[in-house]
Amino acid sequence: MIALIAETLTGLFTPPFRRKEFFQQLYFVGNKSLVIVVFCVCFAAVVTILESSFHMKMVIQNDSMVPGFAALLILRELGAIVSALLLSSRVGAGYASEVGSMQITEQIDALKMLGIDPVNYLVVPRFLACVLGGMMITIVANMACIFSAMAVSQLYLGYTPSMFLTSMQRFVDFKDLIFAMIKGACFGGVIPLVACYFGFRCQQGAEGVGRATTNTVVVSSIAIIVIDFILSYTFSYLY
Amino acid sequence: MLNGLNLQIREGEIIFILGTSGTGKSVLLKNLVGLLTPDEGEIWIDNEEVSKFSEEQYLPIRKKCGMVFQHPALFDSLSVYENVAFGLRRHYQLSEEVIHAKVTKALSLVNLHGVERKRPAQISYGMQKRVSLARTVALEPRILLFDEPTTGLDPVTTTAVNQLILDLSRELKTTSLVVSHDMNCALAIADRIVVLDKGSIVALGTPDDLKKSEHPLVKDFLAEVLEA
Repeated sequence: MIALIAETLTGLFTPPFRRKEFFQQLYFVGNKSLVIVVFCVCFAAVVTILESSFHMKMVIQNDSMVPGFAALLILRELGAIVSALLLSSRVGAGYASEVGSMQITEQIDALKMLGIDPVNYLVVPRFLACVLGGMMITIVANMACIFSAMAVSQLYLGYTPSMFLTSMQRFVDFKDLIFAMIKGACFGGVIPLVACYFGFRCQQGAEGVGRATTNTVVVSSIAIIVIDFILSYTFSYLY
Repeated sequence: MLNGLNLQIREGEIIFILGTSGTGKSVLLKNLVGLLTPDEGEIWIDNEEVSKFSEEQYLPIRKKCGMVFQHPALFDSLSVYENVAFGLRRHYQLSEEVIHAKVTKALSLVNLHGVERKRPAQISYGMQKRVSLARTVALEPRILLFDEPTTGLDPVTTTAVNQLILDLSRELKTTSLVVSHDMNCALAIADRIVVLDKGSIVALGTPDDLKKSEHPLVKDFLAEVLEA
């Protein structure tokens, strides 16, 4: 895995650069995942608002801080991690099965025989697309989360959008958005690396492809959660 | 997988590697071009010991070796034409006219016409194998490695592919290593035949030598030819 990471990072600066493939992958990661991600994070935001309100009312008999706390939680954690976990199942599984199928049908060997580095050809454009796509999806997911949180706050808790935004301003900083973008980029980068790692090691047959796909989703999900902890811990020193 | 294997291949010869499934035939080919790395031993190609080469060092070796894989190994996202042109674009600075001429010639060598714009998924398995062969031949490599090139092909195309291997060897002095189960074909066009069993050579010689072999596996292969 370390060798794959090193080769991918080296490949970022090694021509030929596959611009067309990069944009195709960006479309696959970004545009085609957007609806699923937005749909899911909106529900996650709704649950966050309702649960926070319920517990705050129970403990301090007041839920006035819910909009601010919820916005903070959305920007620091929810938007990035829920998007990344959804991407790992959709994009990671897709990449693992694609690269795994190429491996067992000897397409990877054919690339090598034609003088093409499979890492540069397959992993680098996917890595770049996922880093950029992950970052962009995180921003969109955060915005969708905030809007749905705002809507739920008005409908169920009675806080108007202006009250929500005022509360949010007290808790949320521009840094939060920057850190969320960094998280999105890191989570996005992990997905193709894990997927291609298992894809390149795929064993013969449909069972091998299935195992590579399962391993990808499991390992990338774990990696995302661990990286989230590391980044959150690191960022806590920067506030 | 391979054990104590010692084999010298002369320039321009056609050598068939026969053996039962799982005996190491494909492993032998992949070791030669660095797709697999041997645990021990040496591999010499054109006076160079290549077994310890890195991926980058292998590039010039792979440029002079072409390999037709067991699977067609075509790139799904590219058309037939793009698949055949792929290596030409990568290896050589050629104009589109020259690439077009080479692709057309390679496809006609394997009797394929009018499929240039199709994707691999839109043509039959046999046609895919022939495109794979065309992709390799288009690069005009000095050494050709065939991993069961005629598996899944109809008898007419099988004969055409075998004839192509023979023509390339005789006209262009291409060295050909052919992994196959087809003793009949091996006897017809091979200069020498190697029979592998459990990773070791059990018989090596010209088709006439093989016909006289007393080794049970060789006899089994020959018996199938006689039955056919």
